[in-house]
Amino acid sequence: MKIVIIGASAAGISAAKTIKASEPDTEVVIIAKEDRVHSRCMLHKFLGHQRDAQGISFIADDFFESSGISWLNNTTVTGLDAQNKTVKTHDNQDISYDKLLIASGASYFIPPIPGLRESKNVYGFRDLKDAQLLDRECNTAKDAVVIGAGLVGMDAAVALLERGLKVTVIEMTAAVMSLQLDQKSADAYQQLFEEHGAAFILADKVVSVDVDAVGRGRTIHLASGKAVAADLIVIAAGVRPAFNFTEGSGIATNHAILVGDDLKTNIDDIYAAGDVTGMAGIWPNAMKQGRIAAINMLGEKLLYQDRYALKNTINFFGLTTLSLGNINPQPEEKCQILIREDRNNYQKLVIKNGVVEGVIFQGNIGGSGFWQYLIKNKIDLSAKNKDLFSLSYADFYDQDPATGEYRYAV
Amino acid sequence: MKRIIIDREKCDGCLNCNIACISAHQEGSNFYTVDLQDPDAQARNFIKYDPQKGYLPLFCRHCDQAECVLSCISGALEKDPLTGHVQYDENKCAACYMCVMNCPYGVLKPDNKSRTKLIKCDFCDDKPDDPSCVKACPKKAIAVKEVSL
Repeated sequence: MKIVIIGASAAGISAAKTIKASEPDTEVVIIAKEDRVHSRCMLHKFLGHQRDAQGISFIADDFFESSGISWLNNTTVTGLDAQNKTVKTHDNQDISYDKLLIASGASYFIPPIPGLRESKNVYGFRDLKDAQLLDRECNTAKDAVVIGAGLVGMDAAVALLERGLKVTVIEMTAAVMSLQLDQKSADAYQQLFEEHGAAFILADKVVSVDVDAVGRGRTIHLASGKAVAADLIVIAAGVRPAFNFTEGSGIATNHAILVGDDLKTNIDDIYAAGDVTGMAGIWPNAMKQGRIAAINMLGEKLLYQDRYALKNTINFFGLTTLSLGNINPQPEEKCQILIREDRNNYQKLVIKNGVVEGVIFQGNIGGSGFWQYLIKNKIDLSAKNKDLFSLSYADFYDQDPATGEYRYAV
Repeated sequence: MKRIIIDREKCDGCLNCNIACISAHQEGSNFYTVDLQDPDAQARNFIKYDPQKGYLPLFCRHCDQAECVLSCISGALEKDPLTGHVQYDENKCAACYMCVMNCPYGVLKPDNKSRTKLIKCDFCDDKPDDPSCVKACPKKAIAVKEVSL
């Protein structure tokens, strides 16, 4: 059997590994538009010059040779013929498959703001190529503007600060990383970034960009009337699943490739995993989807059920945060909020009817992994009758007598 | 694979396993010279106490389907195909701590001092015989056993 995988990030590589571990004789071909495999979550380490391109790889140096996987890099898939089971590439190859995994990820999105898309010095921060282009700009640029203070924007900002640029971050909402943090925990990061030289303009919006004679965006105008000078602009305003090449193939889509619980599309033998499905959100879930898709492609049956994606960890300047679930409940949700803090820690639990819906732990996050289980499985804690901050996995302790693995007693 | 099997009934909470773990990761130290005030003195195992249930030893399981490995963005956490153990490469680690978030049993933790590393059981792979915690347990409440998965 020959399995073709489009995409070489979390989902694609995880699928390839899973296939080769269980059926080494299955032929696996990975097609990727990138030059080399890299972890997009580590791009800031590349741009900040803490690591080179090899240093942000997440596979072993000899991964493709030792596992016998064919690797077609710098190759863009341009078409898909589901009848004849082939994919077409930009250089006019027709590559046949028995089963196909679409793990082509997502692309960054430039909002339709006058002057912004036209500017030649606007970059996303999604792939190694983006980071390489920014790296070149950093050699001469002085003023950097980052549009969007989500995790990607903050990653870009930390790297640009590392390179000695003057960095201004512009954000529509009133706080940084507003999907992951509440005001208090966001303020802590904003302050750290400011101490390292960043400036923030929050609750404001870019309305236009002045483009100079050579096509570079120079002045960014905001709704408030402010104007910010820019030598380079990073746009971190979200991503869109990337699946242009499936047009006309009959694959069902709705802003993303639609898949069932088995991660199969509406067409037999074609599966999808990762950001292209619009339901991965973060790296661990993309990895898991890749693994599950691979197992299903090999003819076994495994469903994607552990879908919880409202989760993240943050580590900037050594300040670590765990964020899970509903962390900014609206007053009408009538949630109970518990706060515990000291000079190094801020901890928040959001509770409704005895069930924890959200958690922020800022500072010490050691041993906090069990909270995800409690939240995603909606475990009722009202009978525990103890200080919820003192909970640990030990309160649900149980072991499988045959294997010694832990399991949950709930 | 070899796993540290826990017999909870035998544990009397003495925490010898804890000290042994810290000492094993503090070069040149032994039970008597180990510096517990060192910011790096963090154990990879711990014991919780519950008035009803008694002592509850928490040790990395090197899980069959390890969530930490599936969450790793850098390739620092890998399951060794031969030993089955989850190995950690500090040099690859990006300290994103997705693994801490994804460990269902709350065993993993960041290092206290620099927040650049993960504190995780390495099965004392660099030492002969059993892991240091197992050797230090006076009650034989933890023992290395071969388990089939």
